[in-house]
Amino acid sequence: MLRYALRRIFWAFPTLFGVSLVVFLLTTLMPEPPAPPVPVHNAAEQALEQEERLEARFLDLPRFVNPNPRDVRVRANECVDQIAQDAPLARLCALRLQRLGGAALPHVLPRLEMLSPAERGRVAGALAPLGERVGIHDAAGLRDAAGATRLWARFWEDHALDFTEPAVRRNAQRLAQRESAENEAEIAIVDTFALPVLMATIETTPKADGRARLLRVAARITGRPGLAPGATAEDVDKAAGEWRAWWFVHQAKYTTYDGGTRIAAAVTDTRYARWTYGSVSGRLGLSTRDGKPVFEKLLSRAPVTLTITFLAMLVSLAAAVPLGVVTAWRRGRAVDVAAAVVLVVVYSLPSFWVAQIMSRLFDHTSWLGLAAPVLSLSIGSLALLSRQQRSALLDVLSQDYVRTAHAKGVSRVRVLFVHSLRNAIVPTLALAGMQFPSLFGGAFVVEEVFGIQGMGWETLRAIEAQDIAWLVAVVLFAGAITTLMLIVADLGRALLDPTLREGAVST
Amino acid sequence: MSASKAPSAAPPPPAATPGGVRVALSRLRRHAVARLGAIAIVSLFVVAIFAEALAAELPIVCRHRGTWFLFANVTQPAELSGLDCDGLAAADPDGVRLGPLVCHGPLREHPDAKLAPPLSLRGYPLGTDVRGRDVFARVVHGTRTSLTFALVTALAFVGIGTFFGAVVGFRGGPVDAFLARIVDTLTAFPTLVLAIGIQALVPKPTAATLFVAIGLTRWTEVYRVVRAEVQHAATRDYVLAARALGASPTRVLFRHIGPNTRSVAIVAATYGIASVVLAEASLTFLRVGRDTTSPSWGELLAQVREHPAAWWLLAFPGLMLLVTVVAHHVVGEALRDVLDPHARHAGEATTGALPPSTAIMERD
Repeated sequence: MLRYALRRIFWAFPTLFGVSLVVFLLTTLMPEPPAPPVPVHNAAEQALEQEERLEARFLDLPRFVNPNPRDVRVRANECVDQIAQDAPLARLCALRLQRLGGAALPHVLPRLEMLSPAERGRVAGALAPLGERVGIHDAAGLRDAAGATRLWARFWEDHALDFTEPAVRRNAQRLAQRESAENEAEIAIVDTFALPVLMATIETTPKADGRARLLRVAARITGRPGLAPGATAEDVDKAAGEWRAWWFVHQAKYTTYDGGTRIAAAVTDTRYARWTYGSVSGRLGLSTRDGKPVFEKLLSRAPVTLTITFLAMLVSLAAAVPLGVVTAWRRGRAVDVAAAVVLVVVYSLPSFWVAQIMSRLFDHTSWLGLAAPVLSLSIGSLALLSRQQRSALLDVLSQDYVRTAHAKGVSRVRVLFVHSLRNAIVPTLALAGMQFPSLFGGAFVVEEVFGIQGMGWETLRAIEAQDIAWLVAVVLFAGAITTLMLIVADLGRALLDPTLREGAVST
Repeated sequence: MSASKAPSAAPPPPAATPGGVRVALSRLRRHAVARLGAIAIVSLFVVAIFAEALAAELPIVCRHRGTWFLFANVTQPAELSGLDCDGLAAADPDGVRLGPLVCHGPLREHPDAKLAPPLSLRGYPLGTDVRGRDVFARVVHGTRTSLTFALVTALAFVGIGTFFGAVVGFRGGPVDAFLARIVDTLTAFPTLVLAIGIQALVPKPTAATLFVAIGLTRWTEVYRVVRAEVQHAATRDYVLAARALGASPTRVLFRHIGPNTRSVAIVAATYGIASVVLAEASLTFLRVGRDTTSPSWGELLAQVREHPAAWWLLAFPGLMLLVTVVAHHVVGEALRDVLDPHARHAGEATTGALPPSTAIMERD
């Protein structure tokens, strides 16, 4: 049994992978924002904003494989090339370079000396605001080609050792433990170069005040809004969460890839990998309809829908088994024929139609009104399950061991319930488990008719409001939960029927 | 049942040779309930094909200002544009007109006759909808929309499922394992939820995207059944004999194994039409189907959400849905009985007029 279970669960992984792939492809169906216009010099700010909007949805990354992951080195070199040649993108690149910040310096400064004086002057101009940020207080010198070279050379001589990971880590860890203006200033000098270490330290620091200090430095070097002075521990946690989300999007800009990380980035720096990782870790984005996190909304809506689904499954099973037994027992009699006719009709009724009728027949406050959503959802599978129960029981009743039991003088009731039903109920249970997807989908419709605020209701509001994040999350959730339910159904069936465990996993 | 156990006994003939189909049809004729279902299906298709003869703005034959117009309801001649039956009578009292059953098209809105109950207004036997459109016309033309869509979709996904099921079931190997994963993946999505997602996410939902959205998950069920059938057939003695005689794999597949899948495919298509009709109605009911102007049953039913008192918008399309789905289920069941030798052997132990428990289809 354990082997069967492990094998079944193992095979769920490719399925889950496929599910994520399908939903990811769905997200590519939606219209992409228009391509950024060719930036003219005065429109560089807008171009940068547009770029960041794309980055937030990972649209700047290739879909599945990224042969040339763009880390800070690639980005910085690109920018320097553009600025040096005064290419059309120079103004945009200067803005980009400022945003890259200190992380770009180890790649930019060594190149500064190799450039011609004219080129050097242009690059120096672009670097000037950055220079002021990292503590070179000589605005005029920074903009002048010769002065800039000298100033930057001296800066590098003084601080090359600060631009190393151990140095940054030491500073960050000290700062996490206690207030220290000195460590904070040293981190501010390396600017965004400290971010990878800083973000990692925030994750590993347990104390709220330590995290608050680290967040303050991060806010200082990136220019993002920081914590308010009197922040409580919850505020810090919340801010840390927001920073994590921001870092998730932007980390490639501040990290240098080499060797193994470069190879890994070819896979992880793709739209699919980012999207999957984000979804798995609950980062499903914000609902555009009401601005709440989709993940939280999913957590509050899903129990409603799942309750309806499972109740409908239970109700249909509880009614179908006795009905199947009676019709099999009274086979060919009036009861059987009448049940067959009624069940075909019932099975053919769309659940939303039944729901409409029921919602109008029953008062919403009566107990029938409360049961109506579950009833209208369950009658379809009730029909299917009771017919299955009937045919399975008829199959079993015609077998030799049942005849033997009869011949031995066992009572009819005992033969029916003890000898036959025990075997005949297994396929019915299995079929009930397989009904989960259609019941789950049906619950969406029923919720809408009865105005129950579950996933279906929310989804239809989301369609009206074009709330893409929610729609994608719902499809993903449906795929994942169904996969899990089918596993549970298979395992349950194997538990009841030992012969199934011997065979291969059904595909 | 398996011929390999008792080689001396005559194996059951492959079910669906042309002769087999003839035999099956003659058996079907004796099936009383199935006959009723078949009559219902044929009538539905007749209604769908001749929708204009039942409900249209213009008469079938008319003489207007001295000119004869034949099938004006279908051809919509420019001379008569903007006119309807009443308009024609007013413009030319001496003209001759042979109108359709109801002289209203499905699209024309009559602002002064919104939500009229059946028989309350002359000329609107089944009343009007929210926008003053004739319910009879919309039900009749909705039949065409629903059945055409269901027929095309069901044939497509049964075709795809059968093709892949047959080829993969016969070849096996890595392709089989790969496709099994794809099928598992697609089975993991409730059809309705995936279809809602697709319809809501594509920039412009149309009948074509709805077709993809429904067909995407449905072909897998046909695939499973056909694959199992082909794998079973491939072990039969007559296939081994054909191989031993040197028949090429292609010939074995198409000549000896292929015919076994025909009955499965026919049955799956019959049930498939019913399931697509239901799915399409559900999605249109949720307003994620297509545009709301084209007539369809689900669109009428969707209006009941805002106007619960308009029972006629619930009753008539609901009745049509019910008749369509019951008829296809009954006929599908009968077809399975007469086409499939396994089911015949099982005799009484079939599931009644419901899809087999091997889940040929998923409901809604």
